[in-house]
Amino acid sequence: MTNDGDIEYNRDLLNIDHDIGEFKITRDMVVAFSKAVGETDPKHIGDNSGEGNIVAPATFCNIFMPGLNRPNLELAFGNATLFAGQSLECRKEIRPGDNLKGTTRLNKVYSKTGRSGKMVFAIWETTFSNSNFETVTKIFDSFVTREIAGIQG
Amino acid sequence: MIFFEDVELGDELGPIYRSISHQDVDQFVSVWGQGKNDTRFTSKEIASGEGLSTAIVPGAMSVALLSQLLTSWSPNVTVRKLDVIFRQIVAHNEPLALRGLVTDKDPNNERSTIECDIFIENADMVKLIMGTATISISRRI
Repeated sequence: MTNDGDIEYNRDLLNIDHDIGEFKITRDMVVAFSKAVGETDPKHIGDNSGEGNIVAPATFCNIFMPGLNRPNLELAFGNATLFAGQSLECRKEIRPGDNLKGTTRLNKVYSKTGRSGKMVFAIWETTFSNSNFETVTKIFDSFVTREIAGIQG
Repeated sequence: MIFFEDVELGDELGPIYRSISHQDVDQFVSVWGQGKNDTRFTSKEIASGEGLSTAIVPGAMSVALLSQLLTSWSPNVTVRKLDVIFRQIVAHNEPLALRGLVTDKDPNNERSTIECDIFIENADMVKLIMGTATISISRRI
């Protein structure tokens, strides 16, 4: 069962864009991210001497997500939040030298009740655009909050 | 090299067998900007305090591995969209199999796109992460 009427949170956040800053993409960032996930394709890490044109892997913008300063949802429920899912659209290639600008917005909040009890899902939509105002990547992150006995929220 | 014309519904991608070590996660979170303090990704104690049985592989790292499953299939693959659900946690050092299956192909689509189901399974073939992907792949001509 899905419901959104009985969840207490800051509804003023819904569909309001929040600036999350500008991100200068360097070759070192692209190579470090690629190597950290075991990528060996020269188009992401360069040739044997580390040279050559490279592009960022498709999920590269996830590098900015943990430090992303999202507004507080002020959710009056649960004590444990986990990453539930992600939808990521790759619209344009990202290359070293690009300057990206990011915005994030609360897209949706809803609850479901299953065998393990009530869960509240919050969907955040984050958009990265290049200096030509083209969207390069759009990410929808889904977080689930639950009440788990024995832990402090 | 695989071309759009070569792809059939039901074609399999992978499997790629991986196991993500503590060192792999440490390297990922340091690139990710979370390397300074321990988190649920690097500390079993912190993970336990958050109700998890063990330190876990970051979801963003698992998504990157699934993207690699797609791009390693053929060098002319471009990932257009990934949609994943984290069903269960992925623990450090857990043997994993990354798999994909072609589910749709529209020969009239100018972008030569293909739809795939994608998964990360554990050794018991339990799907820890599952989702769908849209990729484009170049044509022979």
